[in-house]
Amino acid sequence: MKNFKKIITGLIVLLTLSCSDDILDNDPVSSFSAQGFYQTSADAQSGVYGIYDALQSTFRTNFSHWGEGRADAVNTNHSGDPLALQQNTLSKSITTARWNNIYETISRANYAIKYIPEVFETESEFSLQLIAQARALRALSYFYAVKIWGDVPLVVEPYESVDQEFFIDRVNKEEVLDQVITDLIFASENCRETFSSNDSRILFTQGAANALLTHVYMWRKDYENAVVSAEKVLDNNLYSLVSMNDWSKIFTSGYTNESIFEIAYDDTQTSGLRTLYAVGSDSDYFPSVSFRNSFEDDDQRKDLIYDTTNANPRKIWKFFGKDFNDESADPSANNIVLLRLADIILLKAEAHNKLNEVDEALSLLNLIRNRAGIGTLDETEAISMYGDVESAILHERSIELSFEGHRWFDLVRTGKAIEVMNPINGLSDEANFVWPLHEDALNKNPKLEQNQFYN
Amino acid sequence: MKKLIENSPFNFYKATFVKKSIFFFFLLLFSITTGFSQNQSVSGKITDGVTGEPLIGVSIILKGSIRGVSSDLDGKYNFDNISTNDILVFSYVGYGEKEVKIGNENIVNITLNALTDQLDEVIIVGYGVKKKINVTGSVISVKSEDIDKSSLQDPISVLQGRAAGVQVISNSGAPGGGMSIKIRGNSSLNSGNSPLYVVDGVPIESNMLSSLNGTENFGLNPLSDINPGDIESIEILKDAASTAIYGSRAANGVILITTKRGSSGKAQVDVSINTGVSEISRTLSVLNATQYRQVILDAYNNMDNPTTPNGIILDSLNPRNNGDVDWQKELLRVAPQYKVNLAVRGGSDDIKYAWSTSFLNQDGVILNSNYKRVTSRLNVDYKVSEKLTFGQSFSYTYGLNNRINAGGTNNLSVIRELLVRPPIFAMYLPDGSYNGYQFGRRNPVGLAELATHTNQNNRIIGSQYFEYEILEGFKLRSNLNLDNISMKEDEFIPSTLDYRAGYNSGSVRAINNLTWGNETYLSYNKTIKEDHNLSALAGMSFQKWKYERVGLDGMFFASDNVTTLNGAGTISNQEVNIVTEHSMLSYFGRLSYDYKGKYLFEANLRTDGSSRFGKDNRFGYFPSASVGWRFSDESFFENLDIVNDAKLRFSIGQTGNEAIGNYTSQGEFALGANYIDNSGAAPSVMPNSGLTWETTTQYNAGLDIALLQNRITLNADIYLKKTEDLLYNVPVPRTTGFAYVTQNIGSIENKGIELSITSRNLVGDFKWDTNFNISSNKNEITDLPDDLLTNGFIQNGNYHILKEGLPIGTFYGYKFNGVYSRDEDNVNGVTNGALGQIYKGGDPIWDDVNGDDIINEDDRQIIGDATPDFFGGITNNFSYKGLSLGIFFQFSYGNDIYSEINHQRNSVVRYNNLSTDALDRWRNQGDVTDFPKPVLDDPLRSDSRVQSRWVEDGSYIKLKNINLSYNIPNNVVTKLGLRKLEVYASALNLITWTKYTGFDPDVNSYSGLREGIDEGSYPQSRTIMLGLNIGF
Repeated sequence: MKNFKKIITGLIVLLTLSCSDDILDNDPVSSFSAQGFYQTSADAQSGVYGIYDALQSTFRTNFSHWGEGRADAVNTNHSGDPLALQQNTLSKSITTARWNNIYETISRANYAIKYIPEVFETESEFSLQLIAQARALRALSYFYAVKIWGDVPLVVEPYESVDQEFFIDRVNKEEVLDQVITDLIFASENCRETFSSNDSRILFTQGAANALLTHVYMWRKDYENAVVSAEKVLDNNLYSLVSMNDWSKIFTSGYTNESIFEIAYDDTQTSGLRTLYAVGSDSDYFPSVSFRNSFEDDDQRKDLIYDTTNANPRKIWKFFGKDFNDESADPSANNIVLLRLADIILLKAEAHNKLNEVDEALSLLNLIRNRAGIGTLDETEAISMYGDVESAILHERSIELSFEGHRWFDLVRTGKAIEVMNPINGLSDEANFVWPLHEDALNKNPKLEQNQFYN
Repeated sequence: MKKLIENSPFNFYKATFVKKSIFFFFLLLFSITTGFSQNQSVSGKITDGVTGEPLIGVSIILKGSIRGVSSDLDGKYNFDNISTNDILVFSYVGYGEKEVKIGNENIVNITLNALTDQLDEVIIVGYGVKKKINVTGSVISVKSEDIDKSSLQDPISVLQGRAAGVQVISNSGAPGGGMSIKIRGNSSLNSGNSPLYVVDGVPIESNMLSSLNGTENFGLNPLSDINPGDIESIEILKDAASTAIYGSRAANGVILITTKRGSSGKAQVDVSINTGVSEISRTLSVLNATQYRQVILDAYNNMDNPTTPNGIILDSLNPRNNGDVDWQKELLRVAPQYKVNLAVRGGSDDIKYAWSTSFLNQDGVILNSNYKRVTSRLNVDYKVSEKLTFGQSFSYTYGLNNRINAGGTNNLSVIRELLVRPPIFAMYLPDGSYNGYQFGRRNPVGLAELATHTNQNNRIIGSQYFEYEILEGFKLRSNLNLDNISMKEDEFIPSTLDYRAGYNSGSVRAINNLTWGNETYLSYNKTIKEDHNLSALAGMSFQKWKYERVGLDGMFFASDNVTTLNGAGTISNQEVNIVTEHSMLSYFGRLSYDYKGKYLFEANLRTDGSSRFGKDNRFGYFPSASVGWRFSDESFFENLDIVNDAKLRFSIGQTGNEAIGNYTSQGEFALGANYIDNSGAAPSVMPNSGLTWETTTQYNAGLDIALLQNRITLNADIYLKKTEDLLYNVPVPRTTGFAYVTQNIGSIENKGIELSITSRNLVGDFKWDTNFNISSNKNEITDLPDDLLTNGFIQNGNYHILKEGLPIGTFYGYKFNGVYSRDEDNVNGVTNGALGQIYKGGDPIWDDVNGDDIINEDDRQIIGDATPDFFGGITNNFSYKGLSLGIFFQFSYGNDIYSEINHQRNSVVRYNNLSTDALDRWRNQGDVTDFPKPVLDDPLRSDSRVQSRWVEDGSYIKLKNINLSYNIPNNVVTKLGLRKLEVYASALNLITWTKYTGFDPDVNSYSGLREGIDEGSYPQSRTIMLGLNIGF
């Protein structure tokens, strides 16, 4: 019995000792604590990939809803967002008015921008190009935010504590665009020129930064700078126009030489292209009559873009290939091509035209026209066919870049939105160009006020 | 020795329930027989202490041996060959136990008292037992007799309607399906509203762990792993005085489950077999093919620009569309079940054992649903010496649940498809295969038959202890305990059920959830000068949890016949593979004192440290105190013969809640934010290092009275529970990059009243007992920070709001005031807010709260409340000799149900079928009806507004259980060589009286705060069972 006492005493001592407070230190096993991440260069790299992950979600279907839904090339049978966008009956409850994914992308970028410098003891090319990618992705997000909502809250620091101010005001869109340009200039200087293999098309490079800068300058009507940055893209030997035979491949297989920046998707991280354009006669959008009638004769792109065999085409097969069966089980593994050379060439043409450099403008325009098998235009022909050179370029953009998410922004940028859309859905007020703020955003932040048109 | 027993503080354990409780050993320590055999015989008569009736079949065992006899029809017995020092143990089911030392007497007449009369009855409390009459907190005890009679297959269902203050709602009527249990209301805004379960001292995992729940919002019932046949008693600790010893996990009450243990004497073998059949308690009426076609044609014609109806409606010759299928008839069945339970319990003075095993095979009323369960248990107690005892309790359970994806609003939900798939869609195609996906509707019979949805579960709950008596009354006990759940789940949907050629998908999950820990405590009991009873407890514990999950989702399987993930063409998700951990370190103590059982006092303190909180906020302190006053013992009360016992109790205390994610306060960077093949990471949880315990302060006052020779006992409680620093996922602006941040905010109050009455209306040969309980809980959100609120409230899911001054289950939406009979009835030109259409004849009339003639979200209002005004149950037990009849009603009054399923089945979305209510639809100008005109893809979206039209009164009374049993008389049984033989018939859920139009008002499609929603769960069934209990 004495022994038992000893054993028991021993056990008590053991138990008491073994139960120090240390047992309450449980760090995450399958994830990192908020402060535990960003320790190594590999972490820095994954943190940046994490931003692209958010970008995938942002643009999955919205590149089309935002860029095409309100414009004249599409028509829809779908109630919900597509119908509201087409009929210009946007309300604060529509899904596309949500900015959640855009700000999630920005938040991830802000974490990377803050913490990557702390990972590396000395500034290296590697660390700089990672930060440059993060800043380019932040710029891309804010650029879309401005195009969609106008003035938006500007957040450039990560949220890490409840002591930070959650409720922040919107700032003037020009101030946001200033930040966008600062970020993109940094990116155009510090991103890598190329990556090995396909990554050059799906990660931000200097070329992609310059291409996006061109877009931003065009949006701001800063044509001189637009020409300068577009020039850098055109001079970049990473990019060249593909032949007409390979034109479809820009979208169906991706990673072509014409591509500047694509958002990558695969079998499991799918894009929404099927839902948008070709799913069992039931897609969100199909080509409008006016779009179908706007092709010039002999345009070789026409039957690569939609099902011309059907009197009432129900699918757009530009992204899947001619004769695509929209009842197949294929997921949308296609990349979304956000920036490509033809786009920048046409933007440059537009800028030259605005700067009264019509010859430069026309030669760039004809580069794209000729590839599609339609004839060269001189100024007189452009004016006779389309009214003016800008309209000719804009028309070319509407065909070449059809359904790629540019049309609505082109109309707004060039001041043609009301002219084109008024007959279709009665659009009549410039204040109507922006989306409403989603009710959820308004509800959660008392400082936000609804865009004036939607009040 | 005998004197020692009487004077010892353990004396009170001697009498009754102690037989099978863990503290029985203490008694034995002091009651060692010392004499030696000497031929003598004893006889006598055994009678009921109250009525004087003879008791038949009382077991009389010579203590320390396996020799025994039983009393005859006249209550008489005769015991030969014993000595003067021997002790006889008299025991009888439902009565106390009595030990008598023989001495020189030859005639020993014994009176036994029914348990309800027993002042010495003990109940299990946290880390110990207590005399029921000395309890100063609020505790309910449910005993094995009630559990056995209920014929239910899990311990939670048993509590429904039987315990005041305990609300049990079914998430699902599937075998092994989920249940929600709530003690004294919702005291948390996060999902942590379920009580702590402790089985034989082991705090077990009670969260639903199943991670493949298809379209349903809840998992399986984790308490199904416990065989009700093994349970000796279930104690429900409700007030802070009873629960504070469990500290931080006790804010929602504690449920202590104690399993049966062996007692010394001959091995008792019990075999029970029951078998039965179930069928759905109610089917719902839907349109047939002709009626259906007409509704859809109307829906087309009612469109703003009517188009030609889709061919499927017009073309009744197409073999896909020429059916007239009654889907409910095709899918539902009469489902058999059976259960076999085998137990052997017995032992000697030194070793006692309880061994049991059971097998359950239960079909569900939906085709192809089935639950099989094997349980096995071994409880052993081994006395090494006078002072040292070792023991263990181990149970192993294997469950195989062939589940049906019944709930939810997705088109993979069988119940929804059952009700809305058009009758014209034929069951089969001409080639004999299922006619599958058509226009958004899947074939529910195909889903039930062909889709795989299984859950396999292995669980071990075990504990090992030793107990050492250091000094008299001063003991050390240490338990090592463990609960390990190992679960595997499989899901597969074959391509035949999809619209995409060759598209099939499957998932697999394996989960291991281990919780283990140690509890070591010292206890001391002492009686000073006979009148002062003192006991103390001090201890510490730690517990650790580790949750591991692996799994994959895949699609494009090469074949529908190979459903394991090696066959998947594409692996679509692997982010389910995670490990999380959590630990807790605690110190606790208790002090109780009473003077002659008249003045009672108790205090508890527990300190819990949790790994879930930041270093500075880890430890929470949870104190409680209670007092009791047995005023019936006061001199001024002595003349009141009518009152046998009366006691007032008061308690106050604090408990806590740590129901947040394991790493919420640290914040999380999650992996899996991949950019195609590049692995990425992203912040997923925003850190809040200031998070701390959610704290509930509870006040309780109670009154216990026993009247008329204890024929009537009454227990009443009132309580007030205030929960502060609620842990809540506070929505933050998305500009932060996060949807929410967990914070300590706001407070909730629950107050209520509970009443239980037990009455022995008739005694004697014909007995009639009544047990009645009723409770009412009022829940109110008392504080929410203003900056969280939009329009003054927080939206909680689609149907509920959280708002100061309102209960948690408040439904919020539009009030439906009928249907415009004619266009011109809309005199004010009321318009639909979003798109501005003017309401016309046949459209709904909405209550325009602000009178602006525009129906928009400003016109939403409170349209219902899911919390009942009161609920409870009443049981009447009748018995005559061996025959007994129990009738149990359960009720709930004043709770509303938001019937999302009624929305689905009364609204034309695409081509779904409707309920027969649609026969009263508005058709022409001037029709007066409450059913609006059906419009295909209605641009007004009238039906999908959250509205009062789908809110129904969910009050009900249920004839939950009738149990008729016959105990074959002892003399017959003895001749058969048996100890006991009982046959019974039992009916469950026999009749429900309710106005609710869904399958069953006992429904809850969400676990957690979103109460009272019926999205179409697996329906409840009624069951008839026959059973046989044999004892050897």
